[in-house]
Amino acid sequence: MSTVVKTVNLVKIYQDGAVPVPAVRGVDLQVEPGEFIAIMGPSGSGKSTLIHMLGGLDTRTSGEIWLDGKRADTLSESAWALLRRKKVGFVFQFFNLVANMTVGDNVELPALLAGASPKVARERRESLLGALNLTDRADASPAKLSGGEQQRVALARALANQPSVLLADEPTGNLDSRNTRDVLRLLSEVHKEGQTIVMVTHDARVASLADRVVSLFDGEIVDDGRISRRRTGTAGEVIDLR
Amino acid sequence: MSTALAGSRWIKADLRARKGQAVLTVLTVAGIVAALITAATLLEDGTNPWRSLFAQTDGAHVWLYTDDSPQADLRGIDGVTQVAGPYRSAPVTVVQNGKKDPAALRSMPADQPEVAHPVVAEGRWLDASQPDGVVVERSFATSLRIGLGAPFTVIALSGERHTLYVRGIADSAEQGFYPQWTPGLAYVLPAMLDRIEPMLGRSEWVTGLRLADPDATQVVSQRVVVMLEDQLQRVYTWREVRAAMELDNRLLGTLLALFGVVGLVAAALALANAAGGRVLGQLRDLATLKSLGFTRGQLALLLLVEHGALGLLGVAIGALVGWGVTAAVLGTTSVAPIPVLAIVAGTALVVLAAVGVPAWRGGRTPPIPDVPALPPRGHLSRLARLALLVRLPPALVLGTRDAFTRRVPAFLTAFGLAVPMMMITIGLGVWATLDNFADHPEQVGQHAGLYVRPGKLEPAEAKVIAERDRDVRAVYAGTDVNALAPGEARSVRVRAIGSSTDPYPFPVVEGRMYGRQGEAVAGQGLLDLLGIKIGDRVRLTVGGTPLIVRIVGRTVEPDLDGEVISVGLDSLAAKDSVPPEYYALALRPGADPAEVRGRLLAESGESLDVQAAVNPADRLSVIRVVIVALIAVLMLIGLANLLTASALGLRDHALDLAVLKAMGLTPRQVMATLVTGTGLLVVLGVGAGAAAGMSVVTGLIDLQGHTSGVGAGIGRAPSALTLAGAVAVAVGTALAVALIPARRAARAQVPVTSR
Repeated sequence: MSTVVKTVNLVKIYQDGAVPVPAVRGVDLQVEPGEFIAIMGPSGSGKSTLIHMLGGLDTRTSGEIWLDGKRADTLSESAWALLRRKKVGFVFQFFNLVANMTVGDNVELPALLAGASPKVARERRESLLGALNLTDRADASPAKLSGGEQQRVALARALANQPSVLLADEPTGNLDSRNTRDVLRLLSEVHKEGQTIVMVTHDARVASLADRVVSLFDGEIVDDGRISRRRTGTAGEVIDLR
Repeated sequence: MSTALAGSRWIKADLRARKGQAVLTVLTVAGIVAALITAATLLEDGTNPWRSLFAQTDGAHVWLYTDDSPQADLRGIDGVTQVAGPYRSAPVTVVQNGKKDPAALRSMPADQPEVAHPVVAEGRWLDASQPDGVVVERSFATSLRIGLGAPFTVIALSGERHTLYVRGIADSAEQGFYPQWTPGLAYVLPAMLDRIEPMLGRSEWVTGLRLADPDATQVVSQRVVVMLEDQLQRVYTWREVRAAMELDNRLLGTLLALFGVVGLVAAALALANAAGGRVLGQLRDLATLKSLGFTRGQLALLLLVEHGALGLLGVAIGALVGWGVTAAVLGTTSVAPIPVLAIVAGTALVVLAAVGVPAWRGGRTPPIPDVPALPPRGHLSRLARLALLVRLPPALVLGTRDAFTRRVPAFLTAFGLAVPMMMITIGLGVWATLDNFADHPEQVGQHAGLYVRPGKLEPAEAKVIAERDRDVRAVYAGTDVNALAPGEARSVRVRAIGSSTDPYPFPVVEGRMYGRQGEAVAGQGLLDLLGIKIGDRVRLTVGGTPLIVRIVGRTVEPDLDGEVISVGLDSLAAKDSVPPEYYALALRPGADPAEVRGRLLAESGESLDVQAAVNPADRLSVIRVVIVALIAVLMLIGLANLLTASALGLRDHALDLAVLKAMGLTPRQVMATLVTGTGLLVVLGVGAGAAAGMSVVTGLIDLQGHTSGVGAGIGRAPSALTLAGAVAVAVGTALAVALIPARRAARAQVPVTSR
């Protein structure tokens, strides 16, 4: 299997007035299928910018982005959008559920967008919400849900199309420890089923769940190491260590 | 397809979340479109029944009235293709339920002529087997409230009564509708007319000329004037008939069109504002949609469809309502399809353009959902600094600052309220003008409340009876005659009333009142028709006698499109002025004309013919209904703008609220801050709109008065009290509307982080 995500000398420079502010400075990153990568770094190290660029939410200044063996950085905004429908799932720190739509509709939306029939979309939504233990909240408005529940819905939405890669930007940044644990358990479960995940976090304990931790500092990779598993435990056990 | 499915889900969800605003948008657009369609139908010639009547009756273009049967070769005139008549016509009075109406009894053969033949709408045409049959022109029949088979009692000039029976009701294109155009028209067989009015000298002859080219009327009628000279009593052409039939429709149509067009602009603004505000409020959702895979174009299309669909639904409903109203009032045939289609297409385009810009902007939302859409950094405006300086409460200062942080929406809100307020002020001005007509009829030339025709009595006797009544303040003898104007080859009305030294108090708005013989005042319509101005001399011909007068003033003239010249009775030749045709009675203030009329009738033993003057305001009373409807639509527009403004204000300050509370503002103060933010814009918009409306209202009404011939000088601005009331209601409603969400927001527990 080929590399899912590859970047070559990826650079992002924000132009703030006359002063160029480099956010990402020449990142070379390869994500293999089934890998769970945590990108760590202090505030302002460029980790969010990097993950936004990987999903095409932000444009790169120079360098290359390859997605599933195809070059993606040269794509237009619209082409990126079409690519995202099938290949990229996003989870954000503030959940970002569409406020007016019910939980069910939020989960069905990406499936419909990717071309599934309403029937298929509904089936997929039911199985996803079932797996996330949210079946009875399908008709609720997102505002009625707790943060953890909202993030689980967001996760269901991101996974609706079985994307090549799941990009998570501080998925637990806004959650308390109990909800953090729930969300992490879910991430770990989908990872075990073979889902490739790239997650941004500044929480070392969250990062320890990943196979590989990439540390960013001032827009450059300063460390890239696999976590040697001292024990092949489940996510639950990792959390228990705390 | 897949995008459409996903998009429709989003649209449905969003519309469900803002039902009220959506309904408001639909209603606003529907109201405007209905007004525009009604206006177009009223203004469009298609409404004017003249066109179809003229075609149906193969009408004549020029009608001439002569003393005798014209001997000249009228058919020989260049451009005349056919001639109708001459028909003999005798003046009679129709008595119906104690009411007397002037009528012209026209003799027509049992076989209808080829040209200018009345079209029977009900019943049958005249038949030699029923010599006492009469066919009545439809508007006259409607006014008399008579139907087929009803008795039709006429009194000839000799005072003899004859009872005829209505055999048919017919349409005709040879004169305007009764009672705007008098006398009413009825047709009898020649033998019957000879019996009713045996004296040929008391009748006149009517001839119609059909022309090859309708535009040649001027030339042809001038030829007629030259050929017939003294024989000729009066001439009129199809243009006057058409104008007479469209009179009220045009005024109403103009009013509706003015309101409709300005309303459309206001509605477009309100739509753009609402869509823009909604997009601004949804930036985060839009970004999320993009991160899910909506492209820029799809997102823009989605927004265009959502907001556009509301507008288009409004257009559709408005078109249906407008069509329904006009069809119900004027009949289905009057709805002209082309202007209606043009309006529907035009408003649809306006709607799409209005929501297109916000939709396009929404499409350009960056796809990163976490970038918060902060309002531009608000620095203290000068106004706010001033507020701070005079130590206003902090809530007010903060509100003042908030009002102008987003300059464009602030402007749109104020402007969006100013435009409806301006139109409402104009509407109130029209209302005040109508009120003024009704309250001060003397200012529109209706000093006299009653007109008395001697009927069976001697004129002097009638005058004595009238003068004796306790409620009659003054009696003016008067006569209306038709005069031929030089070069115009058509008739104008000369109203001789009072004397030159003791003139009837016409409302002279320009120049002065006539003070001696040979001076006259005229309406705007006449000045425009003859192309003269105050100070000019005119030479008219009244029944062959020249009448030379100098125009010394302009009066407000609501009759006959202002084409009336008024003189003292002594300016007229004695043959025309003695005895006077009628007496105009000026009543004491507060006297009830109906009561006086009853007394006069009783006093004279029912021999007098007493008519109450018809106030133009009564004829225009439908305008009041229209004004109320238009004000309702305008209020909807204002409300739509207001909701947008208040939603936007709340959104911009959601984060501030927590901070304000943290700083120690009470919920009440927070509420005051929010209401001040919106309220300031409301006061600005409403004030500016009212001021703008006040500054143009009299000018606009006078302009309309000028065009319609009544003349400038009728326009009245709404009274200060009315306007103050309207402003207070507008501001009060606005504040109440702004208060509800502000109250909720002030009470809500606002989390500091979530955005």
